[in-house]
Amino acid sequence: MSSVLERLDRLPRRNLTVLAIKGLSTLVPGGWNNITSADGLIADVLGSSDPELIRQVRSRADALSRARHEGYGRALSLYVAVNRSQKAAGGLRLLANIGGALPLVKRVADLTPTSETLQAADLSLKVAAEMLAFTQVNGLPGDSFGDFAAALGEYAGEARVRMAALICFDALLPLGDQALQRLDGLLGGVDKRDLQQLPTYAGMAKLLPGRGDGAHLTFLRRGVDQWLGWAGGFTSQLGLTGQKAVQALETTLGPWQGGFQQMATFLDAFTDTYQHTGVQAVARRLVERAAAEI
Amino acid sequence: MARTLRWGVGLLLVVSLAIGAFLLLPFGSWLPGGTVADVQLGQVVNGTAFNRLFPEPDDGDQLVFTQEKRGFSEARLKHDGQVKALLAISDVTTAPEARKKFETSQSRLQGWPLVEQGPQATALLVADRFQIKVIGQGDGLEAEQRQELIGRFNLRGLAALQPASGQRAALPSGPDTAGRQSLGRLAAMEPAS
Repeated sequence: MSSVLERLDRLPRRNLTVLAIKGLSTLVPGGWNNITSADGLIADVLGSSDPELIRQVRSRADALSRARHEGYGRALSLYVAVNRSQKAAGGLRLLANIGGALPLVKRVADLTPTSETLQAADLSLKVAAEMLAFTQVNGLPGDSFGDFAAALGEYAGEARVRMAALICFDALLPLGDQALQRLDGLLGGVDKRDLQQLPTYAGMAKLLPGRGDGAHLTFLRRGVDQWLGWAGGFTSQLGLTGQKAVQALETTLGPWQGGFQQMATFLDAFTDTYQHTGVQAVARRLVERAAAEI
Repeated sequence: MARTLRWGVGLLLVVSLAIGAFLLLPFGSWLPGGTVADVQLGQVVNGTAFNRLFPEPDDGDQLVFTQEKRGFSEARLKHDGQVKALLAISDVTTAPEARKKFETSQSRLQGWPLVEQGPQATALLVADRFQIKVIGQGDGLEAEQRQELIGRFNLRGLAALQPASGQRAALPSGPDTAGRQSLGRLAAMEPAS
């Protein structure tokens, strides 16, 4: 398995994913910089481009990301698992959209999870993955709950574009502008059978705390409750809506004729937003640590 | 014939049990490569013990802890929402090569060797074991400012930290309690200031 920095070096510089994030980042103050060079990131953190120092940081970072106990690799595999199943689900829904007209493929349409409840469950899994990845990468920083909350806020602030993508692509576009207010109610309607239908859940179940679907469901509801407070503030502060998200995406992707839901399906099927920004976020924290340890 | 069959089935059962046990039981942590440089966790001081040794931020500044792992704790010093510096304490047990740069160091801070790494990073090695690092971010910091920041860490407290012993690490909460005990002892030793 390749290390975190190797993956960072392999990230695309320009493709659909990058364009989608670029477009969305026009809504977020501070914008977004597509970091795809590990050496560049190290030089930025260190404030020096001395090749010997960069080499040292790099080899330390590789040693850290290879050690299973350190959690950097595990955080990445969480992102990859979520991403893979998101693409699979998106692909299925796309097929259902196209195939709805063809009698032979119509059966596929019946199989695809399109209901809002499932969409809400999918979002809650992504939020949970985000929290698990946070603790894998950063541990439990500070001595008090206040310290921990500050650390979480700091991380979310750093990953503002990432969070905006999560809110827009997985909540506002598929569920409408009242998505965050409705999410609690929608999650209340999720039962164990719905959960098991989700491909994301199959990949993540063993990484969630607690045993059994019931415990996992409780964990997801609590996690989303925590996140909603923050996400609600963030959304109203930036004034995020589905309409604005589509307009922002149109600046880079070109004009869009379809509905919001189709846009969400399209993004699910063809972009790796979650994984792309995830690798960048983990890499930065890893480099900050390696630079401090050499 | 029946006898060989019985032996065969028995052997198959034993082999499949052995393989199953290896795959299903949590033997993963016994394999090499689980920790950095394969140093046992018990030999590395937990990052929790470092947190209270960080400097108190000035008025208007803010110290936000960002990472805490075994043998490592890091915080950001912020001013008006801008990151001024990264502050970190690490246990060099897992990175022995980090010690080397201090061997040729001429400068001292409170008796401990001090090294500049490039234009924005300053490192101090305390008790030949704990490395304090300040890395200027954004607009950057002068070398004097970084050294002044390092001087405000609780260096005496850091030098007095005891590594958790290997035996205690066998207990699930061993290293943590050991870390807290040594801190408690430390507080008793520290003059009220």
